[in-house]
Amino acid sequence: MAQIRVGKPDVAPDTPSHTKGVDQGNRKGAYDHEPGHHEDGTADSRRSTGIRPKERDPILPIMPNLPPG
Amino acid sequence: MTTSEQAPAGGEPGQLVEMSWDPITRIIGNLGIYTKIDFANRRVAECHSTSSLFRGYSVFMKGKDPRDAGFITSRICGICGDNHTTCSVYAQNMAYGIKNPPLAEWILNLGEAAEYMFDHTIFQDNLVFVDFCEAMVKDTNPSVLRRARDTEAPNAEVHGYRTIADIMEAFNPFEGAVYKEALQVSRTTREMFCLMEGRHVHPSTVYPGGVGTMPSPTVFTDYLSRLMGIVDFIKKSVAMNDDVFDFFYEALPGYEEVGRRRVMLGCWGAFQDPAVVDYKYETMNRWGKAMYVTPGIVVDGELLTTNLVDINLGIRILLGSSYYDDWVNEDPFVTHDPLGNPVDMRHPWNQTTLPVPQKRDFDDKYSWVMSPRWLRPETGEHLALDTGGGAFARLYTTALANMVDTPFVKSTGSSVQISLPKGRDLPETTLEWRIPQWSNALERNRARAYFVAYAAAMAVHFVEQALGLVRAGDTKVFEDFEVPDEAIGCGFHEAVRGVLSHHMVIRDGKIANYHPYPPTPWNGSPRDSFGTPGPYEDAVQDMPIFEENGADDFRGVDIMRAVRSFDPCLPCGVHMYLGGGRTLQKLHSPMFGATHG
Repeated sequence: MAQIRVGKPDVAPDTPSHTKGVDQGNRKGAYDHEPGHHEDGTADSRRSTGIRPKERDPILPIMPNLPPG
Repeated sequence: MTTSEQAPAGGEPGQLVEMSWDPITRIIGNLGIYTKIDFANRRVAECHSTSSLFRGYSVFMKGKDPRDAGFITSRICGICGDNHTTCSVYAQNMAYGIKNPPLAEWILNLGEAAEYMFDHTIFQDNLVFVDFCEAMVKDTNPSVLRRARDTEAPNAEVHGYRTIADIMEAFNPFEGAVYKEALQVSRTTREMFCLMEGRHVHPSTVYPGGVGTMPSPTVFTDYLSRLMGIVDFIKKSVAMNDDVFDFFYEALPGYEEVGRRRVMLGCWGAFQDPAVVDYKYETMNRWGKAMYVTPGIVVDGELLTTNLVDINLGIRILLGSSYYDDWVNEDPFVTHDPLGNPVDMRHPWNQTTLPVPQKRDFDDKYSWVMSPRWLRPETGEHLALDTGGGAFARLYTTALANMVDTPFVKSTGSSVQISLPKGRDLPETTLEWRIPQWSNALERNRARAYFVAYAAAMAVHFVEQALGLVRAGDTKVFEDFEVPDEAIGCGFHEAVRGVLSHHMVIRDGKIANYHPYPPTPWNGSPRDSFGTPGPYEDAVQDMPIFEENGADDFRGVDIMRAVRSFDPCLPCGVHMYLGGGRTLQKLHSPMFGATHG
């Protein structure tokens, strides 16, 4: 820092934004643990719901599986 | 104050009048332009551009979690914050060694295309054109307006306005039809943006490794239907811009000198191609060239390079007239890039920001903006590149590089062809932006209208590509990663008004150094340590004045047109100051400065 007078910080600038022990969405392997997400980038209806998801998949295999969210 | 000084050598001795605009309005932030005008010879004798705003992002980013960088740097700007997020994501992807899944890349491109359309439209039609509207021209150049009333508009069948004066009236603020329609369009384009990046202007769904946007088919069709609703407006807008600017050349011979400077342009590229980009520094040359806006540096109409590695290594941050101490005695962060090339101490990777607030002195230090320059290896010159307001440099480098070839946008080597689909009223249209003779105020403004068309045409391509993936069931939009303990990264992107780079160094899993370089430090830089003036200063200095008003009721419209053509953005009020301390109008003065005492 330059030779200018600054106030005392309330927190250390390197206070982590991540709290230890809390799951990190970006951690390696996170994608594999997401239900309904497949390795090849496709998804099935389990991505959107846990209630009888298979009944909500497309009726024909040729159709893309596009669960709502 | 009216001072009597010698006019610059070569001209007749004239009386120099100091005239200052601080802050300049209808832009973002605290940009001041201080000039000395020679009214006898109707020329600007001297110009200084100054910023009284210190941000300090590079200071307080230190020690932060690198994953937060995109969210924090977005707050640099309230109009193009998403460009910072995107650029930060590019830099972080490089540091973490990951790349976005293809669909995430298309979504990001679509969001950025909407941002270009939004920002360019609101700036051009609601802010820049106030300088060219009927009310302004009546006030500053009544003879030009009289002529405009009798001049038929060549593109009347496209935009529907019979004369040039009719177009100018349509741009009158708060009343003109185009002014009002542009506000609606900027709302629509912002909606398009929000579909892709979650929130405007600080995205909520853009992260390193991908996006959080749910890629449902309706996201893309909602985007496309909005886009189709505005394509006719874009076609009309280009036609109106062409008519008005061509008329200015005709009505005011010599107007090409307004805001003119040597062609020295930089563009850092935009819109990644997911098939090529892997965000590795080692392959940056290859994926940089695959971008849908080609990066490059143009000097005197010649394309020097399109290699992002060369561009990166040539960046130098000079001091000279800026309120900072030099950092050459600090430890360097990066001595060599991943390819083994030496990295200069004045490169953003090694910069340490040491602010030293002080009084403004135009003979010494007078701005918070540093002086970014690009070192031309062959000649050793430190080039004061400008961005031409963004659109101009993007079109210029893309046209010259002859690399972009998509069904909707094609580069030809001397022009860019842009095909816009059929809209509600107008048929499918192909527009062609040709490299102009000059780098001046009118051409910078004209390019902006064409780049809105470019972004719209590209967006059609991106939607098609994205929907292709969705139809195949590929809906993956994020990639997981670990934050390394030690890494470096750089991101190159185009903010709406020009070049944007983020340079990051990670140590102990935290940010050790982070330097965002947006376009305005390039454009608004003061004289550097070699005495080279920044682009605004260069463009305004020695510029002719065409305004018909004399010193007493001088509006400075030509100077404002020159400065605003760069789309200045120094994160306003209304305040015009004439030498002698006579404040004409003062609504709000948010900053300190020599003239405000």
